[in-house]
Amino acid sequence: MQYGSRGFRAGKWYCPMRHDNKVKIFSLSIIWLWLALFALLPFGLIAVASFLSHDQTNLLSLPLTFQNYTTLRNTIYLTIFEQSFYLAGLCTLICLILGYPFAYFIAQCEKRLKWLLLLLTIIPFWTSSLIRTYSMITLLKAKGVINSILCWLGIIHQPLPILFSDVAVMIGLVYNLLPFMIFPLITNIERLDHRLVDAARDLGANRLTTFSKIILPLTLPGILSGCILVFLPAMTIFYIPDLLGGSKAMLLGNLIQNQFLVAQNWPLGSAISIVFMLVLVCLLLIYWRSTRGKAKRTLA
Amino acid sequence: MKTFLYCFLCLLSIVFLQPALAEDKIVNVYAWFGEIPEQVIHQFEKETGIKVNFSSYDSNEELYAKLRAIKQPYYDVIEPTCDYIGLMSKQHLLTTLDKTQLSAYHNLNPLLLHRAYDPHSQYSIPLIWGITGIFFNTKYIKPNTIRRWSDLWDPQYHHQLALLDDPRDVFAMALKSLGYSVNDNDPEHIKQAYLKLKALIPNVKTFNNVTAALSIDEDILLGISWNGDLSKARQENPSLGFIYPEEGFVIWAETLAIPKDAPHLHNAYLFLNFLLRPEIAKQIALYTNYATANLTAQKLLPDSIKNNPISYPPKKTLMRGEFQTALSGEAAELYEKYWELLKMEK
Amino acid sequence: MKLPAISYLTSIYLFFYIPIAVLMVYSFNDAQYSLVWHGFSWRWYQELMADTDLWIAALHSLLLGIAAATVAMCIGGLAAINLYRYHFLGRKLLSALIFILILSPDIVMGISLLLLFSFIKIPLGFWSLLLAHITFCIPFVVVTVYSRITSLDEHIFEAAKDLGATDLTILSRIILPLLWPAFIAGWLLSFTLSIDDVLISYFVSGPDFEILPLTIYSMVRLGVKPEINALCSILFALTLLLVIASQLLLRKKP
Repeated sequence: MQYGSRGFRAGKWYCPMRHDNKVKIFSLSIIWLWLALFALLPFGLIAVASFLSHDQTNLLSLPLTFQNYTTLRNTIYLTIFEQSFYLAGLCTLICLILGYPFAYFIAQCEKRLKWLLLLLTIIPFWTSSLIRTYSMITLLKAKGVINSILCWLGIIHQPLPILFSDVAVMIGLVYNLLPFMIFPLITNIERLDHRLVDAARDLGANRLTTFSKIILPLTLPGILSGCILVFLPAMTIFYIPDLLGGSKAMLLGNLIQNQFLVAQNWPLGSAISIVFMLVLVCLLLIYWRSTRGKAKRTLA
Repeated sequence: MKTFLYCFLCLLSIVFLQPALAEDKIVNVYAWFGEIPEQVIHQFEKETGIKVNFSSYDSNEELYAKLRAIKQPYYDVIEPTCDYIGLMSKQHLLTTLDKTQLSAYHNLNPLLLHRAYDPHSQYSIPLIWGITGIFFNTKYIKPNTIRRWSDLWDPQYHHQLALLDDPRDVFAMALKSLGYSVNDNDPEHIKQAYLKLKALIPNVKTFNNVTAALSIDEDILLGISWNGDLSKARQENPSLGFIYPEEGFVIWAETLAIPKDAPHLHNAYLFLNFLLRPEIAKQIALYTNYATANLTAQKLLPDSIKNNPISYPPKKTLMRGEFQTALSGEAAELYEKYWELLKMEK
Repeated sequence: MKLPAISYLTSIYLFFYIPIAVLMVYSFNDAQYSLVWHGFSWRWYQELMADTDLWIAALHSLLLGIAAATVAMCIGGLAAINLYRYHFLGRKLLSALIFILILSPDIVMGISLLLLFSFIKIPLGFWSLLLAHITFCIPFVVVTVYSRITSLDEHIFEAAKDLGATDLTILSRIILPLLWPAFIAGWLLSFTLSIDDVLISYFVSGPDFEILPLTIYSMVRLGVKPEINALCSILFALTLLLVIASQLLLRKKP
């Protein structure tokens, strides 16, 4: 979150006038009350739950223990984490490659057309994503639309076994998560100052140099937001690998769901969730620090 | 702008005033998705004037988790599968049924009562029952080549099988092929079953409970399924066949029960008694394609259904079956651990 | 727009819309379980008209979405404005909290809210769903409004103060009118997230308020009835009509 350029002195937002307190207090108290009750408290409960035990009668019980965390050192969990990471990373990359040009072209449009195109992108999401993913099964099956068309055209003679494979899972993930990459990118690319691009061209830079030295660094915050919004759900969504992948993989989402629902081991499930969030926060902090430094240097 | 806001506020007030209903004329039913048809619910509501708040789940684990997580008594009628009855009754989650309030109780099939999962039939009323067996597509696989669970391990079926996404059913398959009981709590036996299943994984293409959709369009030609699902599938693809494996198989029953301290106990009994009526049980059987636990209803079914060996196997075949009961705590944990490992095999 | 841009955009839009087209076509399929075309039939639409439960679930989802989006828009919008304008104690904590809400996986949020509701004894049903939906929508509204607010010229506020405006006046006369596109965008985003949410609703829903995504989720796991295709096709057609109508209305204004 950036501070305004004027009125920003010595690291503080400088506002010489006093604000009358009523509006401030009223709005802040609503916000704080809500977030404290429905965000802070639940997460606190999860954090506490990760240190509890469970037994046959109670989902959560004393004594307090570190055992849930020590169990996680088992290689199974590391493998699951690694697999999910790889899948989510690949999905994010594909979404970025597909989504960037899409966002770029839309951001160039004039206002009315832009709103329409954005609306057209969001409309499919008002139809249940589960049913749309289920429709993908109709497309990818052995006797599905794609195989039938390819067979009819004579391109293949045996149906392609797309369904229940990793390819199907990736298609499903990209299908569901691509808009989450597109929206932050559009918001960011919109604010790109085209005078910089023109200046670079004037100075003789070719397309590639313009892109890599000017456009890409300036749109980096948008890329980062898009990647976060795609990567996180990709790591924990479980119904897409279940529906399209034949439920043959145990990924992080399945694991957490399993612990809470099937194994009824809420403390372990809570511990996995906490560890996952901590790892993510660390990665993001590292990435942020490094891009902040880079940004300062390139624009200076 | 102002009219727009005004309409918005009206809409919001409708939203917030929505859930306000009379207290006593309610019964909260929490049952398996797609088993109790809407007409049955509406008929009950019309006859008794009691509103049915019907919600559904798609796994016993969800039912169990919700019951344990919500401390105040909430649901009046639930529909756990028989192996959960033992577990729930041990944890005092169920009411002991007062049979005097169930005048239609005598309609039930005695073969399904006083079974190991509920020895005195004091907590549960069986509604429908079924069997887990092997299905195959007769167009591609000759009927006599598959007769036992162990036949599925044949390497020629590499990457072709569909297994149910249910640990109990999958482990039961391995346990039976090794000659053990499906309710075996011995850690050593469970481990052997796990190792046997590990060897099967290369043959597995998918873990899926929706056999009908998979098998009808020939996506999967062989696997395990519930007999009722296969009957449904046969309606659209008659070349599908079902086998009761020689080593034995699981028999399970969906049962009705009343949770402890149910808020509308009297209405719960009325609802249960309603479902025990032969015509109603017959409707449920026809709707779900599964065998009814109601003997009087069974006699009312059309011949093509009650004589169908897939849904109503002969007694001799049934002798090879075993009712599913609850596992011990340690066994359940082992199942969980091995299931996770199996899912991670490539 | 140039040809490569147009063809690229078209292919991506096709990617988005083909499964919906398949969905609509198969709502007329004359088969209950098979996903192969067996012939044209109206029967699923007929069954849908008779299936009141499904319509009630759809209506519930719609009402829940509208309510949650509206409240989230108000709270989130206020939060974004406050984060921008005021320097207060715990400001960093607030940003961090909102950030964590975006980061947290749906399933963790669902479980944590279930724990909370059973802890403070809120019955599961409409209210638990509403509170949960508002909570997960707020961060998206905050991000949408905040990114727009940073592009405002802060001199406006100074000028208003100079002219003697109270904070409330500034809020109602300056900030809201300037930011209403961002508010609408936040509302639309929240509405979309709410009506399609499965994971969080799975844990916090109760018996007296069925919603459509959960019905669909059960169906997908136990066997999809094609009448859901019919329902989704109708809903999709309605949204398209709504969009076209709004575009025409906007065009009429001078």
